[in-house]
Amino acid sequence: MFGIAAITIKGVFRDKVFRGILMTALAFFVIPSISSLSMRQVTALSMTLSLSLISFILLLLSIFLGGTSLWKDMDRRYTISVLSLPVTRTSYVIGKFLGLAGFTLLTTLLLGAVAFVVIWYVANVYPPDSPIALVNFLFAVIFDAQKYILLIACAFLFSTVSTSFFLPIFGSISIFFVGSATQQVYDYVTSPAGDAFSPLFHKVVTLLYYVLPNFSVFDLKVNAIYGVALSLSGLSLVSGYFLIYTALLLTISSIIFSRREIQ
Amino acid sequence: MRNRPFVEKLGYVPRSEVFMLAAADQKQFMSASLVWKVLSYFGGLYEKTTRRIYTPPDYEGMKSMIQSAIKLDPYNLDAYYFAQAVLVWDMKQVSAANELLEYGMKYRFWDWYLPFFAGFNAGYFLKDYETAAKYYKRVGDLTGNELSIKLAGRYMYEAGQTDMAIAYLTAMEQGAQNSAIKNSFKIRLDAFKGVKLIESARDEYVKKSGKKPASVDMLLKKGFLKELPVDPYGGTFYLDEKGHVRSTSKFAFAGQKQ
Repeated sequence: MFGIAAITIKGVFRDKVFRGILMTALAFFVIPSISSLSMRQVTALSMTLSLSLISFILLLLSIFLGGTSLWKDMDRRYTISVLSLPVTRTSYVIGKFLGLAGFTLLTTLLLGAVAFVVIWYVANVYPPDSPIALVNFLFAVIFDAQKYILLIACAFLFSTVSTSFFLPIFGSISIFFVGSATQQVYDYVTSPAGDAFSPLFHKVVTLLYYVLPNFSVFDLKVNAIYGVALSLSGLSLVSGYFLIYTALLLTISSIIFSRREIQ
Repeated sequence: MRNRPFVEKLGYVPRSEVFMLAAADQKQFMSASLVWKVLSYFGGLYEKTTRRIYTPPDYEGMKSMIQSAIKLDPYNLDAYYFAQAVLVWDMKQVSAANELLEYGMKYRFWDWYLPFFAGFNAGYFLKDYETAAKYYKRVGDLTGNELSIKLAGRYMYEAGQTDMAIAYLTAMEQGAQNSAIKNSFKIRLDAFKGVKLIESARDEYVKKSGKKPASVDMLLKKGFLKELPVDPYGGTFYLDEKGHVRSTSKFAFAGQKQ
């Protein structure tokens, strides 16, 4: 399983998609000059842009690598060769996932380090009113990685039921937008403004809220950018949610993949 | 027809709810982008006015974009700062600006700028001294700033409106980092300093002669003013029937055309 994970990481580094997406990271170099256009919060804007860029790169990586990894292996008949070795299908799926998750974590830490250098430089040129919330920044970056690892798990689930890359890619994009909005929709429907909706609609929204992944809980950008205090108990809950939800998705993916006919 | 002024539009702005759903985890970035779009537009307008080219601004578009930016990121100080600059001074929508500032205070509870803006708006424009004092008390609590504490008390009733405007504009101009915004505040500040000079001369005249001066020229001729202050908006200062200092420019580059 760990051998598959290591091979997956190596494969990703050789992947042209990865190299293409990483070119986007060149945008870090223009962040200081764009941030200087802010009227009152230059450092905060540099952090906004840096964290947004990290999220955007991770989104592209998780959709295009997470959504195509299993499919490519099956398309090239690499999966059959691997499964002819003493490797179970479950180990194969989990190994591939761990490889991509490890790669995402590595990329996040690297991008986080580059972002920190950019923010530190901007803060030196335009000293902010309050110091940079470094711990919050670190948490924001790590929780961003958790979010996109969860998205990779979703992409894996789609890959196990699909024979092409359409469902994994477009399914992941859809689940990302839906999962980012569920909290807002739920809050609105359960607020006094939502009384106008029927009880059935309330039940459907509540059911979807609990079933679909909630990506907005991983978003700690506001805490990092504006130094808003973090709740440790809240962070623990989110991490627990990440572990349980990812484990559930991988379990379902493994079951489906184990029963799947592979040619 | 060639010289007919046209309204340069900012473009279509979707409802803030649409932005909220579409932005996913890029809300802060989207908010910053909207502020940047409005700021670029405003910078373009400002550049035109300095060349004496008057283009009717798309104020409603600017207001709508700033409201969306604040909905997307209620912590975005640039958005409040711009709202204060444009909604209050240019659009005269002081109550709308204070509603946004009140909304922002729920999030940026540590920030003295927002109650500072709201206090000035309430005291200077709305003449609601009780509300202004409440805001200035908040500023005083957050900063320990002496002026704010004074403004929160009886000083609020005694302070001349021009003093209040100069104190406010000085703080705004000093903190501004964008050149278009900074220059716009500097010009307004220079205009108010001119007003203050004439007001001081007028008060001195009243104190000595017991009656109101007939004109600004009279203050100059009688030696109460060393020189005539220049209105940076291109107008001429005068005294209205109540003795208040006014300018033919109405303190706007477009004022003389209206």
